[in-house]
Amino acid sequence: METIPFLTKEDVVELDNILEDYLHKSDADFTMVIDRGGTVIAQCGKAGNKDVAIVAALAAGSFAATKELARRIGENEFSALYHQGRGRHIFMSSIDEHTIIITLFGEETTVGLVRFYTVDIVPPISALLERFRSREAPSIPELSATGAMAPFGPGRD
Amino acid sequence: MSIINYGSKEIQFKIVYYGPALCGKTSNLMYIHSQVAPENKGDLVSLATAADRTLFFDFLPLNAIAIKGFRTKFQLYTVPGQVIYNTTRQLVLRSVDGIVFTADSQWEKMEENVESIRNLEENLLKQNTSLDGIPYVLQYNKRDLPNVAPVNYLEYVLNNRAVRVQSFESSTATGQNVFATLNAISRLLLYKFTKESDLADKRSKTTVLMSTVR
Repeated sequence: METIPFLTKEDVVELDNILEDYLHKSDADFTMVIDRGGTVIAQCGKAGNKDVAIVAALAAGSFAATKELARRIGENEFSALYHQGRGRHIFMSSIDEHTIIITLFGEETTVGLVRFYTVDIVPPISALLERFRSREAPSIPELSATGAMAPFGPGRD
Repeated sequence: MSIINYGSKEIQFKIVYYGPALCGKTSNLMYIHSQVAPENKGDLVSLATAADRTLFFDFLPLNAIAIKGFRTKFQLYTVPGQVIYNTTRQLVLRSVDGIVFTADSQWEKMEENVESIRNLEENLLKQNTSLDGIPYVLQYNKRDLPNVAPVNYLEYVLNNRAVRVQSFESSTATGQNVFATLNAISRLLLYKFTKESDLADKRSKTTVLMSTVR
Protein backbone atom coordinates (compact mmCIF):
# COMPACT_ATOMS: atom_id res chain seq x y z
CA MET A 1 0.00 0.00 0.00
CA GLU A 2 1.47 3.30 -1.08
CA THR A 3 -0.46 5.73 1.08
CA ILE A 4 0.30 6.75 4.60
CA PRO A 5 -3.21 7.94 5.45
CA PHE A 6 -2.36 9.61 8.73
CA LEU A 7 0.47 10.40 11.11
CA THR A 8 -0.17 10.55 14.85
CA LYS A 9 1.70 12.92 17.17
CA GLU A 10 3.75 9.94 18.32
CA ASP A 11 4.64 9.07 14.71
CA VAL A 12 5.80 12.62 14.11
CA VAL A 13 7.93 12.56 17.26
CA GLU A 14 9.47 9.23 16.23
CA LEU A 15 10.31 10.51 12.74
CA ASP A 16 11.53 13.85 14.09
CA ASN A 17 13.91 12.12 16.51
CA ILE A 18 15.53 10.17 13.69
CA LEU A 19 15.77 13.24 11.45
CA GLU A 20 17.12 15.48 14.23
CA ASP A 21 19.84 12.97 15.03
CA TYR A 22 20.64 12.71 11.32
CA LEU A 23 20.92 16.49 10.93
CA HIS A 24 23.09 16.73 14.02
CA LYS A 25 25.50 14.04 12.80
CA SER A 26 25.65 15.14 9.18
CA ASP A 27 25.80 18.89 9.89
CA ALA A 28 23.17 19.47 7.23
CA ASP A 29 20.68 22.34 7.53
CA PHE A 30 17.36 20.87 6.57
CA THR A 31 15.86 17.54 5.66
CA MET A 32 12.46 16.22 4.71
CA VAL A 33 10.81 12.95 3.87
CA ILE A 34 8.36 13.21 0.98
CA ASP A 35 6.31 10.77 -1.02
CA ARG A 36 7.03 10.44 -4.71
CA GLY A 37 4.00 12.50 -5.55
CA GLY A 38 5.56 15.49 -3.77
CA THR A 39 3.66 15.38 -0.47
CA VAL A 40 5.68 16.26 2.63
CA ILE A 41 5.57 13.51 5.27
CA ALA A 42 8.10 14.92 7.75
CA GLN A 43 10.58 17.76 7.91
CA CYS A 44 13.29 18.90 10.26
CA GLY A 45 15.78 21.75 10.49
CA LYS A 46 15.92 25.35 9.36
CA ALA A 47 13.89 25.88 6.19
CA GLY A 48 14.68 29.61 6.20
CA ASN A 49 12.47 31.43 3.75
CA LYS A 50 12.13 28.41 1.48
CA ASP A 51 8.64 27.26 0.60
CA VAL A 52 8.90 23.64 1.64
CA ALA A 53 5.91 22.53 -0.47
CA ILE A 54 7.54 23.90 -3.61
CA VAL A 55 10.91 22.33 -2.83
CA ALA A 56 9.11 19.00 -2.26
CA ALA A 57 7.16 19.23 -5.53
CA LEU A 58 10.25 20.08 -7.55
CA ALA A 59 12.38 17.43 -5.86
CA ALA A 60 9.74 14.76 -6.50
CA GLY A 61 9.53 15.88 -10.11
CA SER A 62 13.29 15.85 -10.48
CA PHE A 63 13.55 12.38 -8.93
CA ALA A 64 10.75 11.04 -11.11
CA ALA A 65 12.28 12.46 -14.27
CA THR A 66 15.66 10.99 -13.37
CA LYS A 67 14.10 7.61 -12.65
CA GLU A 68 12.60 7.62 -16.12
CA LEU A 69 15.97 8.60 -17.53
CA ALA A 70 17.56 5.68 -15.68
CA ARG A 71 14.95 3.31 -17.05
CA ARG A 72 15.74 4.44 -20.58
CA ILE A 73 19.35 3.41 -20.17
CA GLY A 74 18.52 0.07 -18.57
CA GLU A 75 18.72 0.96 -14.87
CA ASN A 76 15.82 0.62 -12.44
CA GLU A 77 16.54 4.06 -10.96
CA PHE A 78 19.40 6.20 -9.73
CA SER A 79 18.98 5.68 -6.01
CA ALA A 80 20.62 8.97 -5.06
CA LEU A 81 20.93 12.39 -6.68
CA TYR A 82 23.20 15.26 -5.81
CA HIS A 83 22.91 18.81 -7.08
CA GLN A 84 25.91 20.95 -6.37
CA GLY A 85 25.60 24.71 -6.10
CA ARG A 86 28.22 27.33 -5.30
CA GLY A 87 27.37 27.41 -1.61
CA ARG A 88 24.18 25.39 -1.18
CA HIS A 89 23.67 21.81 -2.21
CA ILE A 90 20.89 19.26 -2.27
CA PHE A 91 21.10 15.51 -1.81
CA MET A 92 18.16 13.23 -2.56
CA SER A 93 17.96 9.56 -1.84
CA SER A 94 15.36 6.88 -2.33
CA ILE A 95 13.98 5.46 0.94
CA ASP A 96 11.71 2.89 -0.63
CA GLU A 97 9.59 2.67 -3.74
CA HIS A 98 7.16 5.27 -2.35
CA THR A 99 9.31 7.82 -0.53
CA ILE A 100 12.40 9.98 -0.85
CA ILE A 101 14.57 11.87 1.64
CA ILE A 102 15.78 15.33 0.63
CA THR A 103 18.64 17.05 2.45
CA LEU A 104 19.84 20.63 2.03
CA PHE A 105 23.29 21.57 3.21
CA GLY A 106 25.99 24.20 2.89
CA GLU A 107 29.73 24.50 3.30
CA GLU A 108 29.71 23.28 6.92
CA THR A 109 29.65 19.69 5.76
CA THR A 110 30.41 17.54 2.72
CA VAL A 111 28.36 15.44 0.37
CA GLY A 112 30.32 12.39 1.54
CA LEU A 113 29.24 12.89 5.14
CA VAL A 114 25.64 13.58 4.16
CA ARG A 115 25.57 10.50 1.97
CA PHE A 116 27.14 8.36 4.71
CA TYR A 117 24.51 9.27 7.31
CA THR A 118 21.69 9.11 4.78
CA VAL A 119 22.54 5.49 4.04
CA ASP A 120 22.46 4.95 7.81
CA ILE A 121 18.95 6.28 8.42
CA VAL A 122 17.19 4.91 5.35
CA PRO A 123 16.48 1.45 6.86
CA PRO A 124 14.93 2.71 10.14
CA ILE A 125 12.83 5.31 8.31
CA SER A 126 11.73 2.73 5.77
CA ALA A 127 10.70 0.34 8.56
CA LEU A 128 8.76 3.10 10.35
CA LEU A 129 6.92 4.15 7.20
CA GLU A 130 6.02 0.56 6.43
CA ARG A 131 4.53 0.25 9.90
CA PHE A 132 2.50 3.44 9.36
CA ARG A 133 1.21 2.17 6.03
CA SER A 134 0.03 -1.18 7.27
CA ARG A 135 -2.21 -0.15 10.17
CA GLU A 136 -5.86 0.73 10.35
CA ALA A 137 -7.06 4.32 10.26
CA PRO A 138 -8.50 5.49 13.56
CA SER A 139 -11.83 7.15 14.00
CA ILE A 140 -11.22 10.86 14.16
CA PRO A 141 -14.42 12.34 15.50
CA GLU A 142 -13.13 15.89 15.86
CA LEU A 143 -12.85 16.27 12.10
CA SER A 144 -15.76 16.79 9.81
CA ALA A 145 -15.83 18.54 6.49
CA THR A 146 -19.37 17.69 5.60
CA GLY A 147 -20.33 21.33 5.96
CA ALA A 148 -17.65 22.49 3.55
CA MET A 149 -19.33 24.46 0.81
CA ALA A 150 -16.63 26.68 -0.56
CA PRO A 151 -13.18 25.84 0.73
CA PHE A 152 -11.62 28.71 -1.19
CA GLY A 153 -14.44 31.18 -0.81
CA PRO A 154 -16.57 32.44 -3.66
CA GLY A 155 -13.76 34.04 -5.67
CA ARG A 156 -14.69 36.43 -8.43
CA ASP A 157 -16.48 33.90 -10.61
CA MET B 1 -1.77 11.24 -1.81
CA SER B 2 -3.74 12.86 0.98
CA ILE B 3 -2.13 12.64 4.37
CA ILE B 4 -3.28 13.84 7.76
CA ASN B 5 -0.56 14.93 10.14
CA TYR B 6 -1.56 15.17 13.80
CA GLY B 7 1.80 16.61 14.73
CA SER B 8 1.63 19.66 12.48
CA LYS B 9 -2.21 19.56 12.38
CA GLU B 10 -2.32 19.56 8.59
CA ILE B 11 -4.11 17.68 5.85
CA GLN B 12 -2.59 17.71 2.34
CA PHE B 13 -4.30 17.01 -0.97
CA LYS B 14 -2.96 16.88 -4.52
CA ILE B 15 -5.16 18.12 -7.36
CA VAL B 16 -4.11 17.80 -11.01
CA TYR B 17 -5.52 19.91 -13.86
CA TYR B 18 -5.56 17.69 -16.94
CA GLY B 19 -6.61 18.41 -20.51
CA PRO B 20 -5.46 18.96 -24.09
CA ALA B 21 -2.79 21.45 -25.11
CA LEU B 22 -3.71 25.12 -24.77
CA CYS B 23 -7.06 24.43 -23.08
CA GLY B 24 -6.30 26.76 -20.14
CA LYS B 25 -4.86 24.57 -17.37
CA THR B 26 -2.02 26.95 -16.58
CA SER B 27 -4.41 29.90 -16.91
CA ASN B 28 -6.57 28.35 -14.16
CA LEU B 29 -3.62 28.36 -11.79
CA MET B 30 -2.60 31.86 -12.81
CA TYR B 31 -6.08 33.20 -12.13
CA ILE B 32 -6.29 31.40 -8.77
CA HIS B 33 -2.85 32.69 -7.84
CA SER B 34 -3.89 36.25 -8.70
CA GLN B 35 -6.97 36.10 -6.47
CA VAL B 36 -5.87 34.25 -3.34
CA ALA B 37 -4.58 36.31 -0.44
CA PRO B 38 -0.77 36.21 -0.06
CA GLU B 39 -0.85 34.48 3.34
CA ASN B 40 -2.72 31.54 1.83
CA LYS B 41 -0.61 30.83 -1.21
CA GLY B 42 2.94 30.00 -2.19
CA ASP B 43 4.66 30.98 -5.40
CA LEU B 44 3.27 29.73 -8.69
CA VAL B 45 6.05 27.62 -10.13
CA SER B 46 6.02 26.99 -13.88
CA LEU B 47 8.41 24.62 -15.58
CA ALA B 48 7.76 25.89 -19.07
CA THR B 49 9.52 26.36 -22.38
CA ALA B 50 10.70 29.75 -23.59
CA ALA B 51 7.39 30.01 -25.45
CA ASP B 52 5.43 29.56 -22.18
CA ARG B 53 4.28 26.07 -23.03
CA THR B 54 4.24 23.77 -20.00
CA LEU B 55 7.22 21.46 -20.19
CA PHE B 56 6.93 19.51 -16.94
CA PHE B 57 4.26 20.97 -14.68
CA ASP B 58 2.95 24.09 -12.98
CA PHE B 59 2.60 23.98 -9.23
CA LEU B 60 0.68 26.16 -6.81
CA PRO B 61 0.46 25.39 -3.09
CA LEU B 62 -2.62 26.79 -1.32
CA ASN B 63 -3.84 26.87 2.25
CA ALA B 64 -7.58 26.57 2.50
CA ILE B 65 -10.06 26.05 5.25
CA ALA B 66 -9.35 25.14 8.82
CA ILE B 67 -11.39 22.26 10.14
CA LYS B 68 -11.45 22.08 13.91
CA GLY B 69 -7.88 23.15 14.23
CA PHE B 70 -6.52 21.26 11.21
CA ARG B 71 -5.19 23.31 8.31
CA THR B 72 -5.94 21.93 4.87
CA LYS B 73 -3.32 22.34 2.17
CA PHE B 74 -4.08 21.84 -1.50
CA GLN B 75 -1.31 21.35 -4.02
CA LEU B 76 -2.43 22.25 -7.51
CA TYR B 77 -0.55 20.81 -10.47
CA THR B 78 -1.03 21.01 -14.21
CA VAL B 79 0.25 18.51 -16.74
CA PRO B 80 1.77 19.41 -20.10
CA GLY B 81 -1.01 19.05 -22.67
CA GLN B 82 1.06 18.33 -25.73
CA VAL B 83 0.71 14.73 -26.89
CA ILE B 84 4.45 14.01 -26.87
CA TYR B 85 4.74 14.60 -23.12
CA ASN B 86 2.80 11.56 -21.99
CA THR B 87 5.57 10.21 -19.77
CA THR B 88 5.61 13.52 -17.94
CA ARG B 89 1.85 13.40 -17.46
CA GLN B 90 2.18 9.97 -15.88
CA LEU B 91 4.80 11.31 -13.45
CA VAL B 92 2.66 14.27 -12.42
CA LEU B 93 -0.38 12.04 -11.89
CA ARG B 94 1.46 10.00 -9.30
CA SER B 95 -0.32 10.10 -5.90
CA VAL B 96 -3.08 12.32 -7.26
CA ASP B 97 -6.12 12.80 -5.02
CA GLY B 98 -8.45 14.66 -7.38
CA ILE B 99 -8.61 15.77 -11.01
CA VAL B 100 -10.01 18.74 -12.87
CA PHE B 101 -10.39 17.84 -16.53
CA THR B 102 -10.25 21.10 -18.46
CA ALA B 103 -11.76 20.87 -21.93
CA ASP B 104 -11.46 23.43 -24.70
CA SER B 105 -15.03 24.30 -25.72
CA GLN B 106 -14.17 25.29 -29.28
CA TRP B 107 -15.66 23.04 -31.96
CA GLU B 108 -12.32 22.33 -33.60
CA LYS B 109 -10.87 21.05 -30.32
CA MET B 110 -13.39 18.26 -29.72
CA GLU B 111 -11.14 15.53 -31.04
CA GLU B 112 -8.28 16.70 -28.83
CA ASN B 113 -10.60 16.78 -25.80
CA VAL B 114 -11.71 13.21 -26.40
CA GLU B 115 -8.17 12.06 -27.02
CA SER B 116 -7.01 13.75 -23.82
CA ILE B 117 -9.67 12.21 -21.58
CA ARG B 118 -8.93 8.79 -23.06
CA ASN B 119 -5.27 9.41 -22.38
CA LEU B 120 -6.16 10.32 -18.79
CA GLU B 121 -8.03 7.04 -18.38
CA GLU B 122 -5.09 5.08 -19.79
CA ASN B 123 -2.63 6.83 -17.50
CA LEU B 124 -4.79 6.25 -14.44
CA LEU B 125 -5.04 2.60 -15.36
CA LYS B 126 -1.25 2.41 -15.28
CA GLN B 127 -1.48 3.55 -11.65
CA ASN B 128 -4.08 0.89 -10.92
CA THR B 129 -6.87 3.40 -10.56
CA SER B 130 -9.54 4.85 -12.82
CA LEU B 131 -12.00 7.71 -13.14
CA ASP B 132 -14.43 5.57 -11.15
CA GLY B 133 -12.05 5.51 -8.22
CA ILE B 134 -10.93 9.10 -8.08
CA PRO B 135 -12.87 12.33 -7.52
CA TYR B 136 -12.96 14.53 -10.62
CA VAL B 137 -14.91 17.37 -12.17
CA LEU B 138 -15.16 18.69 -15.72
CA GLN B 139 -14.52 22.24 -16.73
CA TYR B 140 -15.68 23.45 -20.16
CA ASN B 141 -13.32 26.34 -20.72
CA LYS B 142 -13.17 29.26 -23.16
CA ARG B 143 -16.91 29.89 -23.02
CA ASP B 144 -16.17 33.55 -23.81
CA LEU B 145 -15.14 32.63 -27.36
CA PRO B 146 -17.66 32.75 -30.25
CA ASN B 147 -17.10 29.32 -31.80
CA VAL B 148 -17.89 27.10 -28.84
CA ALA B 149 -19.89 23.89 -28.86
CA PRO B 150 -23.10 23.84 -26.81
CA VAL B 151 -22.78 22.46 -23.29
CA ASN B 152 -25.18 19.60 -24.08
CA TYR B 153 -22.81 18.43 -26.76
CA LEU B 154 -19.79 18.63 -24.46
CA GLU B 155 -21.72 16.68 -21.84
CA TYR B 156 -22.59 14.05 -24.44
CA VAL B 157 -18.99 13.74 -25.57
CA LEU B 158 -17.11 14.01 -22.28
CA ASN B 159 -19.49 13.43 -19.37
CA ASN B 160 -20.88 10.14 -20.58
CA ARG B 161 -19.75 7.65 -17.97
CA ALA B 162 -22.15 5.63 -15.84
CA VAL B 163 -21.90 8.23 -13.09
CA ARG B 164 -21.97 11.75 -14.45
CA VAL B 165 -19.90 14.29 -12.60
CA GLN B 166 -20.19 18.00 -11.92
CA SER B 167 -19.26 20.22 -14.84
CA PHE B 168 -18.66 23.94 -15.12
CA GLU B 169 -18.76 26.43 -17.97
CA SER B 170 -15.69 28.56 -17.46
CA SER B 171 -13.53 31.24 -18.88
CA THR B 172 -10.06 31.51 -17.45
CA ALA B 173 -9.73 34.78 -19.35
CA THR B 174 -12.47 36.41 -17.25
CA GLY B 175 -12.26 34.13 -14.21
CA GLN B 176 -15.78 32.77 -14.73
CA ASN B 177 -16.26 29.62 -12.63
CA VAL B 178 -12.56 29.12 -11.99
CA PHE B 179 -13.14 29.14 -8.24
CA ALA B 180 -16.40 27.23 -8.58
CA THR B 181 -14.43 24.43 -10.23
CA LEU B 182 -11.70 24.51 -7.58
CA ASN B 183 -14.25 24.58 -4.76
CA ALA B 184 -16.12 21.63 -6.28
CA ILE B 185 -13.09 19.36 -6.49
CA SER B 186 -11.86 20.46 -3.05
CA ARG B 187 -15.28 19.73 -1.57
CA LEU B 188 -15.29 16.26 -3.15
CA LEU B 189 -11.87 15.56 -1.67
CA LEU B 190 -12.81 16.74 1.79
CA TYR B 191 -15.98 14.70 1.64
CA LYS B 192 -14.17 11.57 0.42
CA PHE B 193 -11.50 12.07 3.03
CA THR B 194 -13.92 12.36 5.93
CA LYS B 195 -15.99 9.47 4.64
CA GLU B 196 -13.02 7.19 4.22
CA SER B 197 -11.64 8.08 7.60
CA ASP B 198 -14.94 7.09 9.12
CA LEU B 199 -15.22 10.55 10.52
CA ALA B 200 -18.64 11.40 9.48
CA ASP B 201 -20.59 12.96 12.19
CA LYS B 202 -22.93 13.93 9.43
CA ARG B 203 -24.98 16.24 11.55
CA SER B 204 -22.07 18.36 12.62
CA LYS B 205 -22.10 21.72 10.99
CA THR B 206 -18.60 22.99 10.62
CA THR B 207 -18.27 26.46 9.26
CA VAL B 208 -15.44 26.35 6.79
CA LEU B 209 -15.65 29.48 4.76
CA MET B 210 -12.56 31.52 5.01
CA SER B 211 -11.23 34.67 3.52
CA THR B 212 -8.62 33.36 1.15
CA VAL B 213 -9.90 35.68 -1.51
CA ARG B 214 -9.15 39.33 -1.46
